[in-house]
Amino acid sequence: MMSDLKTPTDYARKFKKIKQSNRNLINLNIAYLSSYTSEILEPYIGVELSQYNFLGKQYFAPFNQFEQEVFDKNSLLFKHNPDIIIIHNMLEDMYPNLVARFSSYSQSELLTIAKNIISRYESILKAVRENSNSIIICINFSAINYQTNELVHSLTMHMKNNYIHELNIKILSLCSSISSCYTLNCASVISQVGLDNWVDQKLYLMAKIPFSHYGQIALGKSIARMIHSIKNQPSKCLVFDLDNTIWSGVIGEDGLHGIQISDSYPGNSFKNFQRTILKLYDQGIFLAVASKNNINDALEVFRNHSDCLIKEKHLSAMEINWNDKATSIQKIAKKLNIGLESIVFFDDNPSERSLVSNYLPDVKVIDVPTNHMLYSDVLNNSGYFDIISITEDDRNRTNMIKQNVQREQLKDKSRDLSVFLSGLNIQVNVGFVTDATISRAVQLINKTNQFNLTTQRYSEVEVRNFIDLGFIVLYLQTSDRFGDSGISGVAIIKNHNNIWMIDSFLLSCRVLGKKIETVFLSEIISIVKSKGAIMLQGEYKPTTKNNITSSFYKNHGFKMINKKINILEYDLSTIPKNIDYIKINRIIK
Amino acid sequence: MTIFDTIKQVMSDLLDVDINDITEDSSPDNIEKWDSLFHIKLIIALEVELDIQLTPEDAMDMLSAKLIKLIIEEKMK
Repeated sequence: MMSDLKTPTDYARKFKKIKQSNRNLINLNIAYLSSYTSEILEPYIGVELSQYNFLGKQYFAPFNQFEQEVFDKNSLLFKHNPDIIIIHNMLEDMYPNLVARFSSYSQSELLTIAKNIISRYESILKAVRENSNSIIICINFSAINYQTNELVHSLTMHMKNNYIHELNIKILSLCSSISSCYTLNCASVISQVGLDNWVDQKLYLMAKIPFSHYGQIALGKSIARMIHSIKNQPSKCLVFDLDNTIWSGVIGEDGLHGIQISDSYPGNSFKNFQRTILKLYDQGIFLAVASKNNINDALEVFRNHSDCLIKEKHLSAMEINWNDKATSIQKIAKKLNIGLESIVFFDDNPSERSLVSNYLPDVKVIDVPTNHMLYSDVLNNSGYFDIISITEDDRNRTNMIKQNVQREQLKDKSRDLSVFLSGLNIQVNVGFVTDATISRAVQLINKTNQFNLTTQRYSEVEVRNFIDLGFIVLYLQTSDRFGDSGISGVAIIKNHNNIWMIDSFLLSCRVLGKKIETVFLSEIISIVKSKGAIMLQGEYKPTTKNNITSSFYKNHGFKMINKKINILEYDLSTIPKNIDYIKINRIIK
Repeated sequence: MTIFDTIKQVMSDLLDVDINDITEDSSPDNIEKWDSLFHIKLIIALEVELDIQLTPEDAMDMLSAKLIKLIIEEKMK
């Protein structure tokens, strides 16, 4: 995207422009704690963040001031009020002998050092968390820095690599135990530029800057992309074309044996791209086809071409017809119940891409190169599917949607909706959010747009705070005879002197249309009653996307008490609605 | 563009000062932003823009724009 920027002066010029421009960028306070001179990174992080629409206000702590900055509540670090804190402590700065003379250390010395490193990280990270709600990005250790260009006994080399690898796993598990704390894999950044380009001995020895300007650019890019993927939700669906996209040739003309997907060139290039697409499937991304073809021609490939790795079972939707692709994509979005903004479109044909960009500007259209060998790189580098944490539900999601499609089919058959619904055997579990459920709850809070009464976004730290304050934070989990939809609803009810206010009430779209929202609200009413509530209020904050909820409270017996700000009140002496075909379990913990 | 033009351009970009304010006499004494970090940034940028290698000893001798020019001209001979 900004490949025209190559040199430090390019970046300096661009950085100056960003600071002067009045473009509407989201402000982010960034603080950098490191064992080296990190200030050199400022223009690189700044420029790369701007392409994700962030304006970084950066603070660089003097090097090796980890404890000084994080143990003092009034340090410059915390005065900067950081949204993001980046921590990078390099192994060679902590233990210069360890990496240079690894084999001179005994096993017990190595264990002691590892223990010290981890406990140091633990105290630093915990201190940050106590003093700030900021997102933490911990850059880990890289074994490839310490590869020397000599032939050494391979066991020695493996032991050193393994030691660093185990340190990284410990850091990762430590970070996972702290809310909103992530690790950035240093070795991936180095491998983008290659080790020879990464190091610059002169800069390290003269100025304690451990990397060359190539390394500075690569690190700036990785940090910006990481921040982008933490702050934004990943796309949910890849819509792709067939001819000359996942195979070489045109099925309608070349036939099953004329198209190329194979283990030799050029078929292998397309087969590899199919693997890249299937990796997204493994990640829980929906795959869908939008192709201008006769459906039977395309199905023949999926069913009968042994080298075609993508099969019908991987596809959540197929629009194979002669409709224009904008129409096809809209149909896919409707079928999967997702917004256009969560769709990424990949098509080798530039005119199809431009049509989609024009008619559906929310869809992310990949700028596909003519060289098919670059397809995988372009898709991977887009960053649209970057995920920094995978929840159990993500892994099951593609299965869940297929169950949804089965449900739709049943709906077609049983004309009478009430017969259909009672035949579903819907079960609803409502429980208090705990450690086991908080990450999915936070994910829903931050990505649910449509059935969301207030669209309040909260971080994990904030949600934990609510729980600590005694507010009610509930999740809703549903299942029916077709399967488990997982955690698909969240509510937060705040208490002020026994006047309870529903601060957030949201449901994932995939469970709508079954009155599940009604039983969720009824549960909330009975829970606040049991807590001695004297009043229950709800609020509706209209957005461009949540119109579906505009009369929700009104339809459930709430009376408007403040029209200006849409606050409604429920008379707690009335008995809430019950839906006889839904079985409710309250999980008490 | 002469070598000195490139040097001036790089300095003005990195220091965020007008190119006309940079002369042979420019030095850390009369340009406030010319601190040790800027000095390092300048070395990196000059190496890239002019495709040369500067040693730490060169860097330490580059005490003014004029000295930078002389050292680099010598390198590029």
